[in-house]
Amino acid sequence: MSRIALIQPKKRRFRNALPFWLILPTIIVLLIVQVYPALYTMWLSFHEREPKGWEYVGLRNFQRLFHQSLFHESIGHTIVFLVGYASLTMIAGFFIALLLNRKLRLSGLYITLLFIPWILADIIAGMVFRLLVIPDYGLLAGFLQNPTIFPPKGLSVLTAVPPHPWFGSFPFPPAPAMILLILASSWRALPFITLLLLAAMQTVPTEVIESSRIDGANGWQIVRFIMTPLMLPTMVVALFSLILTGVNSVGMIFSLTGGGPGTSTEVLSYLLYTIGWSQLRFGRAASLALIMAIVNWLLISGTLRLTRVEERSR
Amino acid sequence: MKRIWLLLTLILLLSFSLAACASGGSQAPPATENTPSAQTSSAETKEEPSPTKVHDIVTWYQYDQNNTDPASDERVGNEYLRKTIPEFNKAFEGKWKWVNQPKAFDKMTTELVAAVQAGGDVPDIFEMSNTQDLVDFYRHGVAQDMREWAQTQSWWDDLDPAGVTACTGPDGGLYCIPMAERPQIVYVWKDRFPDGFPKTPEEFMKKAEDLKSQDLYAITFFGSTDKGGEGLTRAIWTTIASFGGKLDDSKGNMLLNTPENVAAIKFIREIVAKEYVPEIAFAGGFREEDAFKDASAGSFPTGLFGYRYLNPLTAPSGKKYDKGNAEDMLDAIAAGDIYVSSYFGADGHKPGCGIDIAGFVIPVGAQNIDGVHDYINWMMETEQNAQWVQAAGGGFPVLKSTRSHELFQVPLYKEAGDALEVSECRPWYGSLQRPNEAQEQIMDAIYKLIKEDPTADIEKVLTKTQEEYNANN
Repeated sequence: MSRIALIQPKKRRFRNALPFWLILPTIIVLLIVQVYPALYTMWLSFHEREPKGWEYVGLRNFQRLFHQSLFHESIGHTIVFLVGYASLTMIAGFFIALLLNRKLRLSGLYITLLFIPWILADIIAGMVFRLLVIPDYGLLAGFLQNPTIFPPKGLSVLTAVPPHPWFGSFPFPPAPAMILLILASSWRALPFITLLLLAAMQTVPTEVIESSRIDGANGWQIVRFIMTPLMLPTMVVALFSLILTGVNSVGMIFSLTGGGPGTSTEVLSYLLYTIGWSQLRFGRAASLALIMAIVNWLLISGTLRLTRVEERSR
Repeated sequence: MKRIWLLLTLILLLSFSLAACASGGSQAPPATENTPSAQTSSAETKEEPSPTKVHDIVTWYQYDQNNTDPASDERVGNEYLRKTIPEFNKAFEGKWKWVNQPKAFDKMTTELVAAVQAGGDVPDIFEMSNTQDLVDFYRHGVAQDMREWAQTQSWWDDLDPAGVTACTGPDGGLYCIPMAERPQIVYVWKDRFPDGFPKTPEEFMKKAEDLKSQDLYAITFFGSTDKGGEGLTRAIWTTIASFGGKLDDSKGNMLLNTPENVAAIKFIREIVAKEYVPEIAFAGGFREEDAFKDASAGSFPTGLFGYRYLNPLTAPSGKKYDKGNAEDMLDAIAAGDIYVSSYFGADGHKPGCGIDIAGFVIPVGAQNIDGVHDYINWMMETEQNAQWVQAAGGGFPVLKSTRSHELFQVPLYKEAGDALEVSECRPWYGSLQRPNEAQEQIMDAIYKLIKEDPTADIEKVLTKTQEEYNANN
């Protein structure tokens, strides 16, 4: 057998294995920073810390969570927050993108200004909104607490009691603090969503819009039947981003309302924070984290199914 | 040639990854699965530091020696560290070097638990400002038992037994070295309550109505559910205790539905409904202080150490105490504009108040145990002890011999001492083994009863809350 014949299979083996070696560092990093913490969280969710050490408790952490009244309340608050936050941001973002797409004068300046909330940290944005409405001393306190504008005693956003719920114990209509939280969170997320939608709008071919106009479509029909379907994949990406930040973020709640007044802005992510970092119940916090991961997955797969983006892109 | 380079790069990357994993593994101490007592012995058998080399004593304080902002909330503690660290380093020159790592006061407990659990870097000494943390430290195996060593020290017999009890875990171990007792008292504007703070709830209501007619509030307090229900540990507990109430059955179960507790909550509900309390009391973020600072509220039940955060002040006369630091309150007390009082007592009960112990915790995994021993002994010398208790601890000395020190002969401490003498102070959590969880649940329930739904059945809500907690016992 010649030397060349011996070398050839070696070369082939090397060439075949090369992609594996190339992605190996990435896999190792992923294993360390993603897979291990995920597995550890699963392990934690079946354990609880006792003075003797970690104790296997089976499903008790989940049971305790389900029996906690605040957990049920938090689900309601999360739904209200998520629906309010995602829909307000998407709608406002879409309309601002439409305006900016008209190539207004100084549109560059508007986009720059629009970016300001995005460069602020959640915590800072929350503190700014809080300073606006602090009772008696806030920048808007004089307006909000004016009894002639908000009868009978004015409105103290951070301490106002939630209205009586319309549907059993489901927290709707939301407390004023929840509305403020939704507004603040949307304000913070608006730049990213607007830019995403603006970029998608600018990819819609002008010929298509022109021809639909010639065919007699009005502005609303162009937006509804031409632009929206063409922008749908981007809109779904924007929605994913809103869902994930809406379910998981905690910074804004931390600095704006602290889950209050009472428990009226206590959403699941904040509950997770308090169980884990205030009460130091790591096992129970891990079980809630698992539940939230499943909720995230369900929401995203549900969105995909509803919008049928996967089928459209095939 | 290219392939060889590619292969070399790959090998390099791999070796980096492996090295990172390996070094992480070798640095981390073994997981803490032992009982706290067992952990102590293992920690104490660590290799002794060489006498020729200067070793660090790492501390975690809520104060920052590098923060020179004269208006900082933590100015007193910051200044204390700035002054004391060089003194300590001079006293132990060539042996120990005190290295302080400043931590956020409301995160440092969690950070320590997480660090011990993960086998990460822990300090040699942890400044504990809340005895409640000890319960969690015990459950998570965070603190070392110091009893064996502490009992052989010269200062042991001089410690107030109440302080030692507060540091004692369920297994009899001593999990902190008590330094300062931090009681809850009431700061009062003299012009609002010129005849002294009311002695009974009835007197209080009468005076509060009087103040209301002048568009003033009788009292402000931490009434929100913010900071994990921290409000419970302050005025709410003070009120409950003043009605003779308690929150546990002495066997680790929560017991809320008692006539005393119901009466206390009815009282708080009434003063909120009658608007004797400003709305800002429920806004969280410690904003309730604002109403006392501008004298729109006449009294403020809070911790003794709270004086350092109450500034600047504007007296009812319009006189300003506006240095913007802890001296403002001391100046206002010295001028007679503010005095310190006990709370009132209801139905023949003594005025109630909460109490905490501040001190030192030695975490499991602390590297320099000999240094820790020297550090604590140095801090127990009368002069150092007084300085620490007054500046870092913000309370009364646990060391009985330090109580006569001149630092504690100022009006603030004298008035607080008088208030304590007539009060019955005890930690709010009693025998509860999950105080952080209980604190949040109880405060949520009380907030609902006094603010959200003032018509709700108090007994029903209290029973539901205690059942939810006890189901997890």
